[in-house]
Amino acid sequence: MTQLVQLLTADGVRPGTSELELAVADVDDRQLLALYEDMVAVRRIDTEATALQRQGELGLWPPLLGQEASQIGSARALAADDFVFGSYRENAVAYCRGVAGVDLLRVWRGTSQSGWDPFEHRMATPQIIIGAQTLHATGYALGLQNDGLDAVAVTYFGDGATSQGDVSEAMVFAATFRAPVVFFCQNNHWAISEPVALQSKDQLVHRAAGFGMPGVQVDGNDVLAVMAVTRQALERARRGDGPTFIEAITYRMGPHTTADDPTKYRDESELAEWRERDPISRLAAYLRSTGTLTDEAQAAVEATADRVAAELRAGLVAIADPDPMSLFAHVYSEPHRGLEEQRDRYSRYLAMFDAAAVRS
Amino acid sequence: MSIRQFALPDLGEGLTESEIVHWHVTEGDLVSLNQVIADVETAKAMVELPSPHAGRVTKLHVPEGTTVEVGQTIVSFDVSMDAPAEVEDGPEVAPPNLVGYGAVAESGRPARRERVLPAPEPVPISTHRRAAPPVRKLAAQLGVDLAAVHGSGEAGLITRADVEGARTAPAAVVTGEGTSLPVKGIRKLTAEAMVRSAFTAPHVTVFLTVDVTRTVELLDELRSSSAFREMRLTFLAAVAKACCSAIGRTPAINSRWDEGGDTITQVAHVGLGVAAATPRGLLVPVIPVADTLSLAPLAEAITTLARTAKAGETRPADLTGGTFTISNVGVFGVDAGTPIINDGEAAILAVGAVVRRPWEWQGEIALRHVVTLSLSFDHRVLDGEQGSRFLADVGGLLHNPASAFAL
Amino acid sequence: MTSATMTLGRAINAGLRKAMEADERVILLGEDIGKLGGVYRITEGLQAEFGERRVMDTPLAESAILGTAVGLAYAGFRPVCEIQFDGFIYPAFDQIVSQVARLHSRTAGAVSVPLTIRVPFGGGIGAAEHHSDSPEAYFTHTSGLRVVSVSNPQDAYTVIQEAIASNDPVLFFEPKRRYHTKGDVELESSGQGRHAMDSARVVSEGTDVTLVTYGGLVQVAVAAAEVAKSEGVSIEVIDLRSLSPIDFDTVTRSVTKTGRLVITHEAAESGGLGAEIAAGITERCFYSLEHAPVRVTGFDIPFPPAKLEKHHLPDLDRLLDGIDRALDRPNSITGTVFA
Repeated sequence: MTQLVQLLTADGVRPGTSELELAVADVDDRQLLALYEDMVAVRRIDTEATALQRQGELGLWPPLLGQEASQIGSARALAADDFVFGSYRENAVAYCRGVAGVDLLRVWRGTSQSGWDPFEHRMATPQIIIGAQTLHATGYALGLQNDGLDAVAVTYFGDGATSQGDVSEAMVFAATFRAPVVFFCQNNHWAISEPVALQSKDQLVHRAAGFGMPGVQVDGNDVLAVMAVTRQALERARRGDGPTFIEAITYRMGPHTTADDPTKYRDESELAEWRERDPISRLAAYLRSTGTLTDEAQAAVEATADRVAAELRAGLVAIADPDPMSLFAHVYSEPHRGLEEQRDRYSRYLAMFDAAAVRS
Repeated sequence: MSIRQFALPDLGEGLTESEIVHWHVTEGDLVSLNQVIADVETAKAMVELPSPHAGRVTKLHVPEGTTVEVGQTIVSFDVSMDAPAEVEDGPEVAPPNLVGYGAVAESGRPARRERVLPAPEPVPISTHRRAAPPVRKLAAQLGVDLAAVHGSGEAGLITRADVEGARTAPAAVVTGEGTSLPVKGIRKLTAEAMVRSAFTAPHVTVFLTVDVTRTVELLDELRSSSAFREMRLTFLAAVAKACCSAIGRTPAINSRWDEGGDTITQVAHVGLGVAAATPRGLLVPVIPVADTLSLAPLAEAITTLARTAKAGETRPADLTGGTFTISNVGVFGVDAGTPIINDGEAAILAVGAVVRRPWEWQGEIALRHVVTLSLSFDHRVLDGEQGSRFLADVGGLLHNPASAFAL
Repeated sequence: MTSATMTLGRAINAGLRKAMEADERVILLGEDIGKLGGVYRITEGLQAEFGERRVMDTPLAESAILGTAVGLAYAGFRPVCEIQFDGFIYPAFDQIVSQVARLHSRTAGAVSVPLTIRVPFGGGIGAAEHHSDSPEAYFTHTSGLRVVSVSNPQDAYTVIQEAIASNDPVLFFEPKRRYHTKGDVELESSGQGRHAMDSARVVSEGTDVTLVTYGGLVQVAVAAAEVAKSEGVSIEVIDLRSLSPIDFDTVTRSVTKTGRLVITHEAAESGGLGAEIAAGITERCFYSLEHAPVRVTGFDIPFPPAKLEKHHLPDLDRLLDGIDRALDRPNSITGTVFA
């Protein structure tokens, strides 16, 4: 049975005895407070986005409620020139990579299929096809190797994704070529209505050995431990020692998306259990015990969260509807005769209605 | 009061309706942004609705237990007491432009959006014989060569009527008395126009026989010059030139009697029609702004029109815009006639054969090139003096082309 | 004759239930179809009734869903696979094209693959990427597969049973934007007899233009015919139902009468079913055609974001514009090369 790595207990106690502490020895109180603020802010983004969907401002929203520590802890370990290939739920990682709140929402607003320029934030835009991103990350890592760079590719995916062929194939390639890629699996226990037991009869981390790479299982709700194991994995990759598989044990506290109703397939009692292990409250408990999280500090954090939420809402409703002719833009890099003909025809078609509107 | 309405969104990827199970607020309540105001049941889930505004609930539009269509207004808010943090969204009172309006049930009568159709651009005539497949089949069945058929449809499209009218052997019916040929297509249209003209415009015809030897000699000379070497320079071209010049002196020739009876319209430029006999009947293709053309382009235009007409390729556009017509009856071997004015014009000039006749020349009898010109004119538009003067001018120019210098 | 009014989604549910009652070898596989009853609740209640081995929640792997279905077919079962959304079918494409479509031919008829693949497809629901595709042409182009699409609750009920009863593999495309459309369903029909799956249906008769479509657009076509009628034009609307093979007899009879054909589908223009029908009808009805066949389709672009889908999907006005073209009436592109 694999040891679950942890630095902070569910009650917010930090024994401090683990060897893993070395990996985060430099993380001082100020930085811990920053991690706390990050988690509070992204949870607030989640809450606000869910409300916005219910208010008809977004078509859909996939919440990450409960997974804040997995995403913040790992994302804050990355270097600027590392590159992330995530799924559609990694909004907290995107937040850490500098993506503005409103840009997180664009895809769900229905105004475009991506919210930001991947190269500006060194993070690919949301991937809806399950597991596809793991292959992209491995390929990127091969490119890094070719160029002799010491950056790392990091790919995020869920427990359900581990059943997809793409993920196995990515791990094969990564191991064969000792590619500098970190496979970060958030085992949030649910793939829509399917429990992780349906995807695997054994702990997911055990796959790593089978593919020929080290694996580590971490308490995904412990932001400090997550940061520690991620740092270690990144270092291995930078050293040239190849890929690592991290299984972060966490829980999807919310629905799969706003179109889902979890009451149909899971027990309230399970949710109650996991509430006891909440990533934000445990860090808050620890920081209060060290005197770092004062009432003032808490107020400041909440003010930040309020500001983020307000900016999000304001930015979202201000997003302009896309121009109809943008349908035809960027399908190709180079001119395409057939598509240009279609565009011309549609342009003439639309002109009929514009002319009528002008007239009336 | 600043009223915002809130409509039921599509809460889950393609829903068309939801049931308002329970309101958490009543009319008059103050609510904050995102405060839960209702429980809603969809086909997929029970969902809480958070308030989209901070303000006062002014109206709950539907009672609990009602099933509401996506897009239907369910609650109104007065947002004029906004907290400073409240966001102004787009249009004032209309519901916000919401994303989640997926598979809304199409209700009400379908109707077409108002549109303004584009002005049709002139489509170039295809060089192939354009005809829809059923028409091609008909042509094949009737033994009609589409290449010889004039297309009367848009952009030269050949229609069924064109094919039927082009049959070289119209179905003749043999009766006890003889043979009847059905009258169709161009022949029929020409007949109708002729009747209209002949029995509406009071026709007067004046004749002038004139010695045109000097024009004939001039044409010979010109034919060997470089400007005219590549083309066919005919006597008819000289007549056309003379007419255009003479019209300058008697512009009333270039007129039209408007059938309402109110106006005579004098046209600025000369649309010169040159009558042509074709296998399908009489056609009068037009040379536009002929008065602006010098002899060479005029001659070329006449040659082209004749060739095209003979080949059956005259375009519909070429048959319009005529103001004055010349008809060469000389090719049939006659001297003169009483031509019928082309419907819509004021005059027509028939040109007889140029023959060698004994004529007076410098006090002696000599064999000269002589031609008879017959001008029919519409006596409503022109009086005898105008018609005669015009004819005399034409004749004068053909008799003594050098007199053109004096014009 | 028992009948009931129900939504298209419920009609599929009822048809599945009836097929499973009729044949105990019918077995459903898919993601979230058991406990949850499917993301659109199409399989709701079936696992409770027939058990976990006949309604299987599978691990998250489309290729495996199809590949294991092949194996189940070898073992004498009749699998009904659900692909959760159209855009997720591609991991399974290899199993479908290389195996499902070819096994019967490869083994000279020894192995049958009586498999049904249910695919919610099409747009009009304001969804995220990969949830609104129309991939039917990839499969109509693949020999060995039957491809069908239904537009109304009655056909949904009947054709799902016929598809399951068929000994050939059938792709069953369900227009998800119509899942909530209600209609009358006569409940006696079953998988026996094959009345609906093999033929096109004349939805409404007309004399001036034949309008051919399938799936979610049938409703739009009917609306277009209504508006056209008010403009003095009589449209004959045909719901293809069978996409492979196409019922050319029905369409030919219609176009011979009207002389004008408009085909519409959400899928992109190039290489779409419209091209196949245009070619086939031109071959069969050439001397009846007063105008070239007109296609009103999605553009050759990846399905656009939700806010733009109304421009991409053929709607009432675009259909009417296409009808105007077919009638040589003034339209949006009058005077251009395509007029």
